[in-house]
Amino acid sequence: MTDPRPLIDFITSQRWFGSKTRDVANAQIVDCATLQDGLELQLVEIRFDTGTHETYQLVTSGDDLDALDDAKQVRELLHLMRSNAKVPCADGVVQFAAAEGFPGSGHELRSARVMQAEQSNTSIVFDNELILKVFRRVEAGVNPELELLRFLTARNFENIAQLSGWYEYAGRQMDATLGILQRFVADGEDGWERALATMDDGAERFLDSLRRLGAVTGRMHAALGSDATDPAFCPEETSAESLGLLTATVDEEIESIFLDLPDGNPDLDPIRGRGEEVRERLRLLTNLGGAGRVIRHHGDFHLGQTLWAGDDWVILDFEGEPARSLPERRRKRSPLRDVAGMLRSFAYAASASSLLRGTEPPDAWEARARAEFLDGYRETVDPHLVPTGASMDKLLTVFELEKAVYELRYELNHRPDWVKIPVAGMVRMLEDEVPV
Amino acid sequence: MTDAATPGHWFERDPDWFKKAVFYEIHLRGFFDGNDDGSGDFRGLADKLDYLQWLGVDCLWLLPYYPSPLRDGGYDIADFYSIHPDYGSVEDFQYFVDQAHQRGMRVIADLVMNHTSADHPWFQASRSDPQGPYGDWYVWGDDDTRWSEARIIFLDTEPSNWTWDPLRGQYYWHSFFSHQPDLNYDNPEVQEQMLGVNLAETHEFLKRVRAETDARYSDRVLLAEANQWPADVVAYFGEGDGDECHMAFHFPVMPRMFMAVRREDALPMIEILESTPPIPENAQWGLFLRNHDELTLEMVTDEERDYMYEEYAKDPRMKLNLGIRRRLASLLDNGRDEIQLMHGMLFSLPGSPVLYYGDEIGMGDNIFLGDRDGVRTPMQWTGDRNGGFSRADFQQLYLPPLMDPVYGFQAVNVEAQLRQPNSLLRWIHRLIALRKEHPVFGLGTYEALRPDNPRIFAHVRTYEDDIVLCVHNLARSAQAVELDLSRWEGHVPEEMFGRTRFPRIGELPYLLTLAPRGFFWFQLRKDESE
Repeated sequence: MTDPRPLIDFITSQRWFGSKTRDVANAQIVDCATLQDGLELQLVEIRFDTGTHETYQLVTSGDDLDALDDAKQVRELLHLMRSNAKVPCADGVVQFAAAEGFPGSGHELRSARVMQAEQSNTSIVFDNELILKVFRRVEAGVNPELELLRFLTARNFENIAQLSGWYEYAGRQMDATLGILQRFVADGEDGWERALATMDDGAERFLDSLRRLGAVTGRMHAALGSDATDPAFCPEETSAESLGLLTATVDEEIESIFLDLPDGNPDLDPIRGRGEEVRERLRLLTNLGGAGRVIRHHGDFHLGQTLWAGDDWVILDFEGEPARSLPERRRKRSPLRDVAGMLRSFAYAASASSLLRGTEPPDAWEARARAEFLDGYRETVDPHLVPTGASMDKLLTVFELEKAVYELRYELNHRPDWVKIPVAGMVRMLEDEVPV
Repeated sequence: MTDAATPGHWFERDPDWFKKAVFYEIHLRGFFDGNDDGSGDFRGLADKLDYLQWLGVDCLWLLPYYPSPLRDGGYDIADFYSIHPDYGSVEDFQYFVDQAHQRGMRVIADLVMNHTSADHPWFQASRSDPQGPYGDWYVWGDDDTRWSEARIIFLDTEPSNWTWDPLRGQYYWHSFFSHQPDLNYDNPEVQEQMLGVNLAETHEFLKRVRAETDARYSDRVLLAEANQWPADVVAYFGEGDGDECHMAFHFPVMPRMFMAVRREDALPMIEILESTPPIPENAQWGLFLRNHDELTLEMVTDEERDYMYEEYAKDPRMKLNLGIRRRLASLLDNGRDEIQLMHGMLFSLPGSPVLYYGDEIGMGDNIFLGDRDGVRTPMQWTGDRNGGFSRADFQQLYLPPLMDPVYGFQAVNVEAQLRQPNSLLRWIHRLIALRKEHPVFGLGTYEALRPDNPRIFAHVRTYEDDIVLCVHNLARSAQAVELDLSRWEGHVPEEMFGRTRFPRIGELPYLLTLAPRGFFWFQLRKDESE
């Protein structure tokens, strides 16, 4: 038995290692494949003192435990995809696969650079043409990103970065997605950055483009809810008590956050003492005919997950919220949760502009952004997926309220200067007319 | 390969999990009908897991779901290796377990080791071929006089624990119904067979089962249902060694809680807890208010039993065997304060609470249904047709749902109570969450306080630095009580539901006033201002 210490030290010091606060008891290579001479793919099980474990993916070359920053080595992963290679391991197999229209067959890719912004994965860009996302934390089951990209590609939904290939593991430990290859949108501009950059100049054009983003989102949901024959995707009716469960959950979150509201932060004054009012509003909002259907959806939808590619939007990152477990991320929920996420992101953009850049957003920027986006969304979404008429507005507001409560707790704990954003959102929801 | 049956895959390893857990008992047939045939099933149960996850329960306890002629609610098992077709397939079962694990809930299943159904092929073989391989698998005798001191459990239907079998020309032994012959555990083959199934009876055998279970799996739990006095039940934990069952139900405490509330006197509870011997470090009591059976009065004195019948079974139809076949809410005349008080006491006692499906919304019973069916009616999900339990025709339902004006599904259902912030359901949800925030309830020591006011049941639970004081008023009227808390002088009691701080504890007796049937739980915090 080799000393696990170097392995533990390496993995626990990586940015993508998710459990930094926990005590690691052991590390062990549970399976391993030789990709070519001197290049290995390892699945490492990190075992915690409590007895649970997490599994991580390493691509190693000799003593180098991270060969992904070596352009020559990492290109080998693409070669294996191109040839649909099947590489045996001790206890399973690593299957590489090329998507239809796999690019780059004609010429050799020259450069490879590791993206710096990634948190939980490692992404490598090849020649500004392709981007390989290597999932570091490996969980049993298909990754929703691969699952949704394949599904959307098959339904001709074009506002995604085209899927080019992937590789996955099948073995005694688990079946799991290890990485995916997509076309790199070289001229794309991050939606969040674009919102902030255009606040003092070009806001009108940006706002106009949000109608388009709404329409793209509506078509994305329509596509995701379009196959009644695939059990992983077919839209489902909500159960009789699902609305009640939502109401109870949000109501208790409101109750508890108002119990915990600290003294002394004047930014909280607009909502202080109004907990019962918020709860009363929630009761009015959840008094609706139905909750629509539940479908697979983006799961972590906000401006930062979009790219403006000159003439249209590209939607990125279908992984869902990384903090949630894989089965939870794959669960069907109302598509309006995505919409609420985007609307809250507009509120953040407006405030971030003044907090971070010192630029006051144009008058009524957030209201315009919301209206444009929602108009576009309504035009394209499949009406069977969402409640009709006023019920849709009400349900959407409930999801927004839920997010605002979550934001409030987060900001109170991490960024007290930012609490005014969720506070303003809650005040707006209190002051708006309840849709009838 | 995702092995849904491997807890390590879904859960933090935690050998103490069952001590901190809240259990929830489900009558599968009555929970939710997933295929519109009038009977609950595994697909239906899987559909309701979001609800159970929200409720906050940690472990689902399923009544038997094996093939069975269903003459004793499935406790008469005809095949240990498959699923009753009414409930679905083995795949449906697997799907349900998988979905439960994904939501962080564990599953325990009733496995009846004592006997089989008379329909089981083993028994049929034992009858027809006494010299054959199954001849000695059951307990046969030429006369019906052996073990005459053993009690008869189903007094209303069974004159004796022996029944004559004309085919074999011998009597066979049954502890329960005559259609449930006892297996013969003196036969090593039976032991082997049942170990393959899972587990069993005599203590020597239980030790083997425990050893095998621990060796094969981590974090598994054996829970004994032995309706006996605590001093006798302790044997099922394996005495000091803790090498038999992890858990056992504490039967006698339950009727005494009902007695205490009716008499407005804490003494019956204090006494039964005092006479409960210590249990091994790694063991835990299972506590419940009501379950799928009658409220059993076997573990009380004759006098106490008369009192209980007098108070809680005014209609003779409410009695069954040596017990009362009613649900919690109807036993307590649907008194909200009483229901909350009983749950408060249950959750504060040393042990893990087991809730019975439907009691969290205050469902009632139907004493006009036979045997124990009155407390096994369909779960009431909504005010819609069949209470939202099934889309089948009313006539197809395995039992009619309750429809009376007080407890019927139009008045009492999950959907409505979820939406009402002050409903019983929402309160139970908060209670569960509170208990789970404080491991002291599952792991801590128990010490009764004996205030002068006999209407007050007060005790202290302690685990490491966590000290919790629980004070319950059993009376219908408001009460004042003086508690000797001098040991905790300088601590500040903080009420646990609303986190209100009460006056600091000093040298003098601590005075509290409680509303009728009211209770307080306090966390005793060191005063930081000193």
